[in-house]
Amino acid sequence: MSGARTSLGAAVSAALFVCAAAGGALAQGTGTAAGPADGVLPSGVTYALRPDPAQPVAAVALWYRAPSGGFDGTPFPGLSRLAAATVSASTPITGTPLAQLVDRWGGRISVSAYPDSVAVTALVPPDHVAQAVRAMTSSYFAPVITSQGLQVAQRYAAEDAIFRSLAPDAIEDALGAALFADGPLHDGTIGDAGGYGEVKLERVRAFAERAFRPANAILILTGQVDGAALAAVASRAGAVQSAAEPAVAQTPRAVSEPLRRDGYITGTGLGWIGPPIADEADATALDFIADALFAPKTGIVPKALGTRKAVVTGKFVTYRNPGVFLVTITGDDAAAVRPIVEKAVADAAKPLAAADFAAARAGFVYHILGEMATPAELADTYGWYTVEGDAKYAPAEGGTGGRYFTLASQLTPAAVARAAAKYLGGPPAVVTLVKPAPKGKPA
Amino acid sequence: MTRALTAAVIGGALMVPALGAAPAAALAPRTTVVDLGGPRMYVRADAAAALAGIELFVRAGLDRETTAQNGLAALVAEAVLQTPTPDPTGTGRSVPLTDAITARGASISYAVGPQSVRFYLEGTPEAIAAAAPLAARALAAPSFDPATLTAARAALADRLTDEDSDPRLVGRAMLRSSYYRGGAALPALGSATSLAELGPADAKAFYEKWYRRGDAVVAAVGRTGDATDAASRALVAALPAGTTTAVKLATRAFGPQPKRIVTHRDVGAPYVVLGFAAPSLGDRDFAPALVMRSILGSLFDRTSPATVPPPFRSVGAIYGYDSSPAQLVLWINGSRIDPEVGLASLSAVVKAASDKPLAAAVLSRYKERARGEWTLETVSLDERAFAIGNAVTLGLDADASDAVSGAIARVSAADVQRVAKKYFKKFDVALIIPRASGS
Repeated sequence: MSGARTSLGAAVSAALFVCAAAGGALAQGTGTAAGPADGVLPSGVTYALRPDPAQPVAAVALWYRAPSGGFDGTPFPGLSRLAAATVSASTPITGTPLAQLVDRWGGRISVSAYPDSVAVTALVPPDHVAQAVRAMTSSYFAPVITSQGLQVAQRYAAEDAIFRSLAPDAIEDALGAALFADGPLHDGTIGDAGGYGEVKLERVRAFAERAFRPANAILILTGQVDGAALAAVASRAGAVQSAAEPAVAQTPRAVSEPLRRDGYITGTGLGWIGPPIADEADATALDFIADALFAPKTGIVPKALGTRKAVVTGKFVTYRNPGVFLVTITGDDAAAVRPIVEKAVADAAKPLAAADFAAARAGFVYHILGEMATPAELADTYGWYTVEGDAKYAPAEGGTGGRYFTLASQLTPAAVARAAAKYLGGPPAVVTLVKPAPKGKPA
Repeated sequence: MTRALTAAVIGGALMVPALGAAPAAALAPRTTVVDLGGPRMYVRADAAAALAGIELFVRAGLDRETTAQNGLAALVAEAVLQTPTPDPTGTGRSVPLTDAITARGASISYAVGPQSVRFYLEGTPEAIAAAAPLAARALAAPSFDPATLTAARAALADRLTDEDSDPRLVGRAMLRSSYYRGGAALPALGSATSLAELGPADAKAFYEKWYRRGDAVVAAVGRTGDATDAASRALVAALPAGTTTAVKLATRAFGPQPKRIVTHRDVGAPYVVLGFAAPSLGDRDFAPALVMRSILGSLFDRTSPATVPPPFRSVGAIYGYDSSPAQLVLWINGSRIDPEVGLASLSAVVKAASDKPLAAAVLSRYKERARGEWTLETVSLDERAFAIGNAVTLGLDADASDAVSGAIARVSAADVQRVAKKYFKKFDVALIIPRASGS
């Protein structure tokens, strides 16, 4: 009962404080031009506008730097997802929950939590862009957290956690704990599905108030959209104007004994600490290595698996500092496959023949471009690299002539081999997930 | 680079592309047409795109198969992709066309439809310029030797396994077989058994009979220009000259009671899939049918903070507008809702929609939703290429899909009522039951 009263009060006060940022609230230089633009609105919102008038749809994305487990107290992995989902599902005093609005427009909305960031992205028809911008910024800049919204979000987050627990994501999540002694990657993003129901409204509200501030927001607009949409960004009078959240420090561990955990999936994870995002050349080289070794169907490892029943994934994840290189091996033949994976990683420290390298680089460039082919994918790319502190290095920036692809074109077999030796040459952190044996049976 | 999940979820809807109703003449043409000396190329540029896509439609789809030839359209298309091609890394060996194209920084894929097989080539303009001659070479002289066909069968076996694990696709295939007559009723990829019966002579004969330049259509999208123009010309020129006779798809009439088809699969929960006759792209009833799809597809929607991906929804629809007549299938996910309850509710909604016109507010709400859903069906390059090529192969304007949103806006309550009565009161039912349950 008291919770419901509190929610109502928060909703009323939020509605009073939020208004569309008409005219003068816009930062200078945003204009309504159809071209790309970047800047910071007076409210502190960082934005990136990347129009593509030939696209039939538009993406509106809000990214925030926020640790998945929360800012204070004992981390609860997945708190950021829960909070973002609660806002999306809560009914503001003035209208309809954000998720329902987007659904009514025939659009799609997603909530994504990463170790040190959280994103909400809506894909909508172009004539709803301004409404989407207004609804999203209103909802998140002055977050309304209702008990009903929290219930919906708890169910959603718990189902999401279960789903991820059955996939290689669970192994990657566990690798964070093997690679780091503390910090967002150590804590992970999946959490305990059963625990979401125990998270209190007050904790979710406190997280949302801090994380979703305008000054901590990165707004990305892609697809069929122009600068006029920025006029719909809500401002929040009285919102904390302090700067964006700083990146949380992480302490890498020395490689220790393999970590063994119970899980809903059986498999092995191998993890290495990689370069920080600021080391763009090496980060690009590790992206290349991940693609050459592990790209589905075309990578060296998938081809080497033959008919074995195993699934191997591998990726370099470009974090601020440091990045991580993560490999997962699952399936009935996972144990037999591990030596193949280890040999492939070791061989990466030997320069490829020129023709093989050229073919691998062509495939790499295509795969990266293919991951940014839709407005939502583009928004993801800009959001990620901005949160991690190097927006100009985003592969989407400048197309194939931008910084990322210029670095890709400058890669050489020797440089790639050096990067592999430097970052992947040592022993990896190892995590093994096993399903607990049924009661009464030996493990 | 990270592999963020957002876009995968947002773009993850399972949809068979479709196109639209009202005439496109009211809109300024967005697609340019280039005569390739018979066949035509349809170009829609997107200067902001880094990649370009070229889709070649060949009239060698399922409707060209006899029952004894089931799987042949897919086997021939897969053989093109498996055709030995000089290894670009200079080993002196040959590699399958797909690998050679991958090494050029592009990709090639195909899809077998009721009336066409579609080859899709994608890459940067430079990569397409390098890859297109390889694809053209394989299209002009595909290998049907036993080794190539063995590789093609293995690739098809993987795809069959994937499709067999998705109860929605299993249900759709069952209902296609009950709705269409002739080759269009057959499984798109055949079966392991049928594929094993098909040999080099069958593949060669099918290719020689149906792969014809005169019937081909090319759609080029994205970063188009000289490279895609040249590639399109090369792909079309690779096909043997000539045309083929068109096949008019025939369908079966529904019985007074729904036909029930049952199968058992290794799935976690039962699925009930309903198959309806549906208006084709270009039909005046197409837009109202999309509104009905939105109404039925949103039944049992739970409040959720994010869009629920199709496999986790209670109900969903696949509109097969890649053929005329079209078919719409509606699936009920037994892990989310009691199938009996779902079936009864769907029937009640159809009855209500056909008994009296929708209230204005309800109509407005679902028109809005239908319009958005339609717009979101043509986002990726391959979806955009399909939209253009599909319209053309169905005899419509290349920009027909652009007109659908306007047609939805003009849908009246009477339109929905008419379409509900005409198309949604009769259907067949496919039941996909977990193998373990046995009932």
